[in-house]
Amino acid sequence: MRTFPILFQKELRSFFLSPLAWIVMALFTFLNGWLFASMVNVMRLRVSPRSLVYNLFDSGWFWMGFFILFPLITMRLFAEEKKMGTIEGLLTAPVRTSEVVLAKYLATLVVYLIIVAPVFFFFPLFQWITGEQAAFQSGAFWGSALGLGLIGMFHVAIGTLASAVTANQLIAAMLTFVFVMLHYFLGFMERFGLVTGSTWSETLTYFSTIEHMHSLSEGLIDSRPIVYYVSFSIVLIAITHHVLESRKWRT
Amino acid sequence: MIQVQNLTKKYAGRTAVDSISFEVGKGEIVGFLGPNGAGKSTTLRMLTCFLSATEGTASVAGFDIYDDSIEVRKHVGYMPENVPLYPDMRVIEYLQFRARLKGMRAREAKRAVEEAMDICSLAERKFSIIATLSKGFKQRVGLADALVNKPELLILDEPTNGLDPNQIRQSRELIKHLGERHTILISTHILSEVEMTCGRVVIIDRGKIKASDTPQNLIRRLRRPGEIILEMKNEAESVEKKLVKLDGVENVTSSQAYGGWSVFNLKTDPSIDVREDVFSLVQSSGWKIRELASRAASLEDAFVDLVSNSDEQAKSNVEKKETEEITS
Repeated sequence: MRTFPILFQKELRSFFLSPLAWIVMALFTFLNGWLFASMVNVMRLRVSPRSLVYNLFDSGWFWMGFFILFPLITMRLFAEEKKMGTIEGLLTAPVRTSEVVLAKYLATLVVYLIIVAPVFFFFPLFQWITGEQAAFQSGAFWGSALGLGLIGMFHVAIGTLASAVTANQLIAAMLTFVFVMLHYFLGFMERFGLVTGSTWSETLTYFSTIEHMHSLSEGLIDSRPIVYYVSFSIVLIAITHHVLESRKWRT
Repeated sequence: MIQVQNLTKKYAGRTAVDSISFEVGKGEIVGFLGPNGAGKSTTLRMLTCFLSATEGTASVAGFDIYDDSIEVRKHVGYMPENVPLYPDMRVIEYLQFRARLKGMRAREAKRAVEEAMDICSLAERKFSIIATLSKGFKQRVGLADALVNKPELLILDEPTNGLDPNQIRQSRELIKHLGERHTILISTHILSEVEMTCGRVVIIDRGKIKASDTPQNLIRRLRRPGEIILEMKNEAESVEKKLVKLDGVENVTSSQAYGGWSVFNLKTDPSIDVREDVFSLVQSSGWKIRELASRAASLEDAFVDLVSNSDEQAKSNVEKKETEEITS
């Protein structure tokens, strides 16, 4: 792991040297700030059985912005290096491929966390400004933070793999978007009537991002989604490693 | 420094490098010469562990390229074709990143980067963003990157590609200078470059090695007739007849030049220098002469001879036999 910190640092730097990271961060924060304000308004007009945290993360608006985020921050990871040819210089330096993959993945994960972090400042900020009684409990707050962390981990891994299979950033972005969406809609198959029978629908709820988020944003920390997202992320990152090493396979 | 044995690379349905073997000794500057698409870059990519060989083995600095890939990469400074760099980094930043990546400590890297920038005359542009550099400067950044950790071996893939004549001359001088400290393998399709910088040439064509020798020997081994050019102010036919009678002259052709001068082209036996005889003949006949020159075969001739185009390939088996002789 000698070169990991050097690569990690370089990845992070190049993110924040490009305008893309700042634009994505600003827009994402703006979108969610606006959404947060609307949610507060809605809850003022109508009595809601759910907490503010639950309602915010249950909103389709939130997920839409959320899913667009991943293609944007992951598409350049490997695709850009392949297109420019810098991957050749990178992988002919005395560097392990695993360190390159991990550095890129973890740096992007950190970028993701920095981008979503402002959302979690909204709640204490709201409390502080209005001085009202908490519209949520700390369990819901930390539970949903954990949830977004886990889901982000998984989605960044999808994006990393997508970026490794192509030299075209646009294709990488589309692959990421499609697979993130497909995974999300697995949880809606039952609601849409696409699957029937209790075995199927029960199985699918295990994959359902929105179900995971529901339970976590109620402060219910279940170990199943934790294991699910962590293990799938590891699998995807391992596949990414193999994709990059595949050029060295002897046929 | 480099030992290559039966190295082969097959892409789906196509053999890019076909069982090549060669060696590069310590301190040599070897030119890896071939037309575009001959398999030069693929070979260099295998030697630098970017690609793996389908068959065969190679060792670099005593380490196997497949089993000891990290060690190999520590001992090689590689400049890929077209010099890919990160456009949004500054020169000094990029070189420091590369030096650290190659295992140098921060302070050590700083000093090494200064030194490398010095060698490559980059000092004036060290804070420039790479995207704003001209091609010549980018090339120098690539070279500085390759030599920053003072590797024993430099592998440069078409280092002068796309440079202007002045820059080509500068980089040639630089490479010659680097040859004093490093073993160098450069691939190129520019012949003059090889002729001037390399002690030895490996010629590759369609994945196969056609020859491996010093440029001088390659030219000498060429079995092409000598050529003498003579420019005189005389009636062509009678002169031609007399010239053909000389010992060693095989064939004479002539053409008209401006102002009543004729140019005579003599094909001669390469083992005999006929210039003295030609001159005595001219003197005794009282011909007016303004040029007597022998055209030496160049590496270009050798190259063209060895690397025939595919449509010419079937032309003669004699040529093939000759090349086989040279290779063996």
